[in-house]
Amino acid sequence: MNVIAFERTRIAGAWSEAELIIIVGTLNDGRLWDTGVTENGDAQLYLLGPDPEQACELCVSRLGGRYILEDGAGRLLFEHRSLPLVAMHARSQLRITRWSLVARIVVVWCTIRDVIHDRVEPLIGESEELLVHLAPQFAAFV
Amino acid sequence: MKLDRDQVKPAEARQGKAVPEARLLRKQAGDWLKQRRSEAGLSQVDLAARLGLKYYTFISQVENGFSRVPTETMEAWATQLGLDPSAFAKHLLVYYEPELHRLLFGTKP
Repeated sequence: MNVIAFERTRIAGAWSEAELIIIVGTLNDGRLWDTGVTENGDAQLYLLGPDPEQACELCVSRLGGRYILEDGAGRLLFEHRSLPLVAMHARSQLRITRWSLVARIVVVWCTIRDVIHDRVEPLIGESEELLVHLAPQFAAFV
Repeated sequence: MKLDRDQVKPAEARQGKAVPEARLLRKQAGDWLKQRRSEAGLSQVDLAARLGLKYYTFISQVENGFSRVPTETMEAWATQLGLDPSAFAKHLLVYYEPELHRLLFGTKP
């Protein structure tokens, strides 16, 4: 028996509407995005950061039948034949970015609280102590 | 997930917003890089291979104006294009950090 291997159809050129729906629908966070093509005509989709820079945070490219996920600095994050899988990785990558921002805000908040506790509170305590000592004298004077 | 047809258009096309200055300048940088690469007789694939990248897609990302040439690879990028790294970095600063370029070199780009 002869088994004939069927080649997967190579998709080329710009993104199809179905592909865009998969990516944009998976992310679904109102993020800015744009599309482009490489010199060889391979499709790219850029997920952009906020104004005013609108720099690329993640890029999904289609090379032959493979989808490539890279960050804005060209680091390869994931690659697979399944676009929904790549889109899910892109979504989790964006969540990691968001959580790292939350972590940074928490660290800054803790630092500010620590500074207030170490530096400002002793000053307030000192002036309160001074007031307690001086208040009776002022009262007697008046 | 159901999306209407309008949602699969890029955000700017949907909102009719103007493209920010920073993005326009990055695009100009990309065009300049593309020109230099063509003059060096390299394709995007060739340049990516010379820079040790697995895929050439990042070269396209930069030339299309969506990303910058990372500072740590500027020297290698310039060398592969046959350009002086210092002049290369200085020229890219015109697009990537125009105000910094003006402060350092005293001229408007």
